[in-house]
Amino acid sequence: MGTVLSYRLEDLEQTIAQLSREDCQIMAGGTDLMVQHKSPMGAPARFDKPVIFIDHLKELKQIYQVNHDLHIGACCTYSEMLEHPLIPSIFKIAIKQIAAPAIRNRGTLGGNICNASPAGDTLPLLYIFNAQIRLRSSKGERVVEIQDFIQGPRRVDRLKEEIVTEIILPEMQADRFVFEKVANRRADAIAKISFAGSMRLDEGRVGDVRFAFGAVGPTIIRSLAIEQKLKGEAFPLDPKIIDEVAADFDQIINPIDDHRSTAAYRKTVALRLLRHFLETM
Amino acid sequence: MIKFHLNGREVETDAPPTARLIDVLRDEFALIGSKEGCGDGECGACSVFVNTLVQNSCLIPIGAIERAEILTIDGFSQTEQFQVLSECYSEAGAVQCGFCIPGMVMASAALLSKNPHPTEEEIREGISGNLCRCTGYNMIVDATRLAAKKGEGLW
Amino acid sequence: MFAKDISTSVKKKDHDGKVSGQLAYISDVKVDSMLYGVLYRSPIAYGKVRSIRLPPLPDGYEKIGAEHIPGNNFVKLLHNDQPIFANEWVNYIGEPMFILVGPKLDILYQLVEKVEVDFEEHPAIFTLEEAIKQKDQTGVFAHHEFGESLDVMESIEKHVYQVIEEVYETGYQEHVYLEPQGMLGIYKEDGILVKGSMQCLYYVKNALISALACEDDEVRVIQSPTGGGFGGKEDFPSMMACHVAIAAKEVKKPVMLLFDRAEDMEVTTKRHPAKFTYRTALDEQGNILSMNVEVFLDGGANAGLSPVVLQRALLNSSGVYKIPHFHAKGYALKTNTVPNGAFRGFGAPQSFAAIESHLGHLSKIVQRDPIEYKRNYLVKQGDPTITNGRFRDPILLEDMIQDLLQTADYTKIKEEFHTFNQQNKRYKKGIGASFFLHGCGFTGSGERDHIKAVVKLEKTEKGQVLIRVSNSDMGQGALTTLSKIVAKELDLPYEDILFPDPDTKDVPDSGPTVASRTTMIVGKLLERAAGKLKAKWQSGVAQEVVEHYIHEDMIPWDEETFSGDAYPAYSWGVNLIGVKVDILTGNVQVEKVYGSFDIGKAIDERIVKGQIDGGMAQGIAYGFMEKMTSKMGKIQQISISDYGPPTAMDLVHIESNLYDNPYAGGPYGAKGAGELPLTGGAPAVQAAIEDALQIPFYQIPVTPELIIESLTRKGGEARD
Repeated sequence: MGTVLSYRLEDLEQTIAQLSREDCQIMAGGTDLMVQHKSPMGAPARFDKPVIFIDHLKELKQIYQVNHDLHIGACCTYSEMLEHPLIPSIFKIAIKQIAAPAIRNRGTLGGNICNASPAGDTLPLLYIFNAQIRLRSSKGERVVEIQDFIQGPRRVDRLKEEIVTEIILPEMQADRFVFEKVANRRADAIAKISFAGSMRLDEGRVGDVRFAFGAVGPTIIRSLAIEQKLKGEAFPLDPKIIDEVAADFDQIINPIDDHRSTAAYRKTVALRLLRHFLETM
Repeated sequence: MIKFHLNGREVETDAPPTARLIDVLRDEFALIGSKEGCGDGECGACSVFVNTLVQNSCLIPIGAIERAEILTIDGFSQTEQFQVLSECYSEAGAVQCGFCIPGMVMASAALLSKNPHPTEEEIREGISGNLCRCTGYNMIVDATRLAAKKGEGLW
Repeated sequence: MFAKDISTSVKKKDHDGKVSGQLAYISDVKVDSMLYGVLYRSPIAYGKVRSIRLPPLPDGYEKIGAEHIPGNNFVKLLHNDQPIFANEWVNYIGEPMFILVGPKLDILYQLVEKVEVDFEEHPAIFTLEEAIKQKDQTGVFAHHEFGESLDVMESIEKHVYQVIEEVYETGYQEHVYLEPQGMLGIYKEDGILVKGSMQCLYYVKNALISALACEDDEVRVIQSPTGGGFGGKEDFPSMMACHVAIAAKEVKKPVMLLFDRAEDMEVTTKRHPAKFTYRTALDEQGNILSMNVEVFLDGGANAGLSPVVLQRALLNSSGVYKIPHFHAKGYALKTNTVPNGAFRGFGAPQSFAAIESHLGHLSKIVQRDPIEYKRNYLVKQGDPTITNGRFRDPILLEDMIQDLLQTADYTKIKEEFHTFNQQNKRYKKGIGASFFLHGCGFTGSGERDHIKAVVKLEKTEKGQVLIRVSNSDMGQGALTTLSKIVAKELDLPYEDILFPDPDTKDVPDSGPTVASRTTMIVGKLLERAAGKLKAKWQSGVAQEVVEHYIHEDMIPWDEETFSGDAYPAYSWGVNLIGVKVDILTGNVQVEKVYGSFDIGKAIDERIVKGQIDGGMAQGIAYGFMEKMTSKMGKIQQISISDYGPPTAMDLVHIESNLYDNPYAGGPYGAKGAGELPLTGGAPAVQAAIEDALQIPFYQIPVTPELIIESLTRKGGEARD
């Protein structure tokens, strides 16, 4: 293997210019990529494209509000998000369960999204927040809904000359947020199942309810149709309705057996978490 | 050539940008304090400070830390904070085989710099990225708590 | 008596180097013209090697294999069935076939990927179940049967109120010592020097002599500072040493073999998975009249230490109980999977998990509290062992249990938990206990017939004393404890006792660092040697004292009939663990941990407490967290996060207590302490989970998957 060039350019502009010339491996924190492309001990990581480093780009580290929408730079690290007052506390709860401090000092939100692991820890919340992904290239910008951006495990809708610049969280009002990560230990663990939910009640009736599951399918599972079913229902919900919703989800969750857990466990627990969320307040 | 600051000096390397920082430290600069326990960022034995933040050097491509300030255990062990930690680790009985310990010391230091009076839970979270197989962690937690007390004002 | 003094903790001798990272482990060592080695490993589980095709090797890169072995192509251990380089038949995925050496690791990795081997693949035995079914045809590494006659057992069962039969299984456990295995072979004109991470200096040397077919003085082994062992570096390093020595001899350059974590997890020895079948006869009151146990151990692809693990598993199959009529049978079987080996406890953790589980279930069946039920059967001083040995020394178990129940306020806690469980929908709390022992030292007559330990003390003119033993400090503090014993006996400052890295050039064979023998046996020898040195001490003169193992008179151990005193002494333990189970997810949180231990006498209290903390962590995790599986002969969990050893957030402080019960045969009364703390963790945590959920379990680890499956079957609170 010959030496592969790498780039670490002064600013976002030059980075985008390079991307328009060459298909590169974009690397932010590198905590996923360096594992995926690792050699056994003592040897450099192997990439088949030039690597372009972006975690130093200040333009990608901004966190700010526009109207009531929150904009988070793609290269904000988990630690930076944990310390930032504008980041919603439910996100902080999720982020605290990612890996461990040293990883959180490098790993980025943009990286977690573009890695698009079925078990990505920030993803279920991003889905229920209806997060939008802003991409930029030398040709301009576009904004994509997260559920359209993530197409499958490790597959996202990014053209090779594009770079994710920020994540937009539209304003979200809820009375209750829930995030649960189920794993084999309390730190440094990959989720077997993850669950994010939000609920807003309007005069004792469900005004808005959202939930999403991670690690029980190739991508995050969320169903707007099922959420719609619950709108307007009186809370506490009729057990029959909870049963219906659980049965509906039973149909669309398709977890697998693997070396971490079983399909039976994942499905059972996912539905238990869902029920628990719908029953409690 | 990639230039950066290593334990207070300016250095440079011609290692490829995707070479791991841990290898550059150990092979090129003969700094053996950062140990490889897993190569996946899961054990913390390779912990270094990058611009004062604790990170796993096995996951850092050298190209990403151009111009950064790297402090390894080899450098950190020259500081007063290290002295306190070393004494407390000894007093608490925290060192058994020792392989995890440089990383643990870095994690303890990183925690105390941000949070000089951590609770038990916060200490456990602070070292949650450092695996130890010998001690069951309790004496390391004790050592960190002791260092918070003894190093009052240092952190 | 200065007994209290010796227990006082001191600063460990190797503290400064370890805490600063400057102490060099083998992977930190670099020597001139050093080459690296990378092993080519079998991709298939069982088959014959037809041909090997190497990619073109650049200058400076060579392949070294079986053809270069001057001596025997097997690793000298118990049986001769472990090839150094498997070149005819391969018996497991990952078996080393040859080594490529060269200056650059990344080139070696690329070359290894391009190797093509043609195999004639044969049907393999992948599981213990399959091996059990075929045991009459396939490999039985060891087999023992002993105890009450089968006629008597049968007649008891015929007339009894009920017979309870239970099957119980335990899984793999992987050491995950922080320092992966590593070995360096250095070629010299007059012989080979091997340095590396290891527990048994002379096992390595003897293996090398056999492989190199050389003279005793043509091989030298030095133990490097070792980053954890737990038994995983008991026999495995011998094979690695042969790899680097043979390679170094061929290329006439130093060869370094270092394992990546994934490689280490996939191919090094693990704790034997086991299957137990208990048949117990009970009378109408629920009293045990007889008990029959059958044990199967999955040995993996070669015998290794399996015969001895089987022995200890069998010796512990009745736990700490005196069972009226007891019969046991056991097999260590071959499967085409990674060979299994020593892991702290060495068969005891499996057996205690099984017997404690069984008795706990029996107590439930007869509707009695498990602790109260078990207390009826505790062995007492003077009782025979199940091999017609004798528990000669005082047993404090009854007191330890009583004290612990009081300290923990057991009755009150049980009530609190009961109330909590009735009120809380999502969480259930439970508390469980385990009672266990560990036979100290080598099983049977090993010390007398095989090891024959010798220690040496060298006094310099300046009055410093060097400890010359073959035993390793792998973190358990041997460096410190042995130095303390010698210092105390000689009335010298601890700083004047030196303990250089064990080197076969300088140290006699004091035996391997295993079986909780280091403090008790080697320490005792050093205590005697120091006493003799003190008696003949001459200032300003270099002196030397050598001391040999003296076998204590006991009921002689007979390997054939499996009878006699298997161990000279026993250490004892009681654990009490409280857990909180999340019945939505099956996740278990350990909330309270108590451990009481009788290890005779602590040579250093803080070191012993460290062993308790670490051992219990491993034992507890063995009970519910650590799960390793093998599928079609391939280990499935090769990263730390996939395997799941506990992080600091998964554990809590342990309230531990030591009981003084000095053993005359140990230095200052000390018995074995290294393995005991692990044994009680899994059974106590299983009992706690069972208490919380009111569901029995028949295997460990009691994973969330198992819990949810059981809860679903039970019906329980949550509907699906």
